[in-house]
Amino acid sequence: MAEPTRVPPPGGGDQATAQPAPAGPFTRSVGYKVKVPGFEGPLDLLVTLAHQGKIDLTTIELSGLTGEFLHRVKQSLDLNEATEALWMLAALVEMKAKLLLPKPPPPDAPPPIEDASDLPEKLEERLAEYRAFKEAADALRALEEMQQKIFTRAPEEAPSELLLEGVTVDDLFRAFKEVLERARRQKAAEVADEPVRVAERMRAILEALARAPAGVVFADLFRERSSTVFIVVTFLALLELIKDRRVRAHQDTPLAPIRLIAATT
Amino acid sequence: MAQEARDQALDDLAGAVESILFVAGRPVRLESLATVTGAEPARIREAIDVLRGRTTGGGLLLQAVAGGYQLATRPEHAETVKQFLQTEHAEKLTRGALETMAIIAYRQPITRGEIEHVRGVRSDWHIERLLERQLIREVGRRQTLGRPIEFGTTELFLRYFGLADLSDLPAMGERGVQALLEAVR
Repeated sequence: MAEPTRVPPPGGGDQATAQPAPAGPFTRSVGYKVKVPGFEGPLDLLVTLAHQGKIDLTTIELSGLTGEFLHRVKQSLDLNEATEALWMLAALVEMKAKLLLPKPPPPDAPPPIEDASDLPEKLEERLAEYRAFKEAADALRALEEMQQKIFTRAPEEAPSELLLEGVTVDDLFRAFKEVLERARRQKAAEVADEPVRVAERMRAILEALARAPAGVVFADLFRERSSTVFIVVTFLALLELIKDRRVRAHQDTPLAPIRLIAATT
Repeated sequence: MAQEARDQALDDLAGAVESILFVAGRPVRLESLATVTGAEPARIREAIDVLRGRTTGGGLLLQAVAGGYQLATRPEHAETVKQFLQTEHAEKLTRGALETMAIIAYRQPITRGEIEHVRGVRSDWHIERLLERQLIREVGRRQTLGRPIEFGTTELFLRYFGLADLSDLPAMGERGVQALLEAVR
């Protein structure tokens, strides 16, 4: 029999130093130790033994283990260790539940389902998937580096660029003046208006644009009411949205109506 | 004789396409090029090939990106161009953001929960940054409990990584991703 080997816990857990790790082949991970009537040692050893049938789970009180886990997590949380322990505790609960439940009659050809071996398999699968994505991220990095070495005439990824397509600020202002003038002509009697807020109008514009994927013509944003305050505040809200790049202003040809489109669609 | 005239016409078309791409400063779709020049899309493709041949040896290259074509400077001249522009180039994505980006790109439409399931950690911060840089966007809502938001990639994503379209993403695994990484190293 070899001397009991001490393995430093992964992730700097401190429980392992409290007691020596048990001898034998189970020295892979000693991060989380447990002590219940009938068993004392690393949690993953308990899982392995239970899975191999070398320990009878029905004699082990799992509520003690889970209670202890919750208590320790509240004391200090090592996320890596806690996650691993949680996986193992869940595996134990699942195994025990299966032991306690009446077994269904075996089908003609019993499928080789091994309860707890699912766990490492699932973990392995997820790790493999994650590794594949890490590689894909490396590939994207390579593409990013390549692309950052070439420049276009007007790099659109420059954050200062506004989403104005064929529209100048002058065009916007001219359209705004037209709306104001139209309102002035129509105005019979301006009644003291309710307060209008920019944030409110921003929301209203976004809602209107969400309903119209093809966009809304500039003047239509002002149809609702035609008080000067309403028009000015709506215009300010629109400028704010363009500045934040949440709205795109588009004009097919000079002097054509300006169309506004939600930037995320 | 007829062949020569035809070649001349194609050269002219290539010139017209080049002019458009020069002033556009962003990827121009094949259909737009066809509409504006009045040529058949197949002809435009031929003209693009001619243009490609013409740009070799020059300072520019013709890139198929984000569903269109654009003229851009050659990577060999990156340092010189950068010096001239005197701009710090776009900040690179962080490791975590890039991982999140990869998961979204390959699995879209995908929810926050699914992203975190693959990465094993919370990814809100990276998702926010990617949204901010307009590399991803909300594409809809999953019709399940809580109607979680689904994310997908944007047109800027394609341009940022120099991809013609989503099928241009290197396939995961040996043939695509690993082959690309081999080629770069």
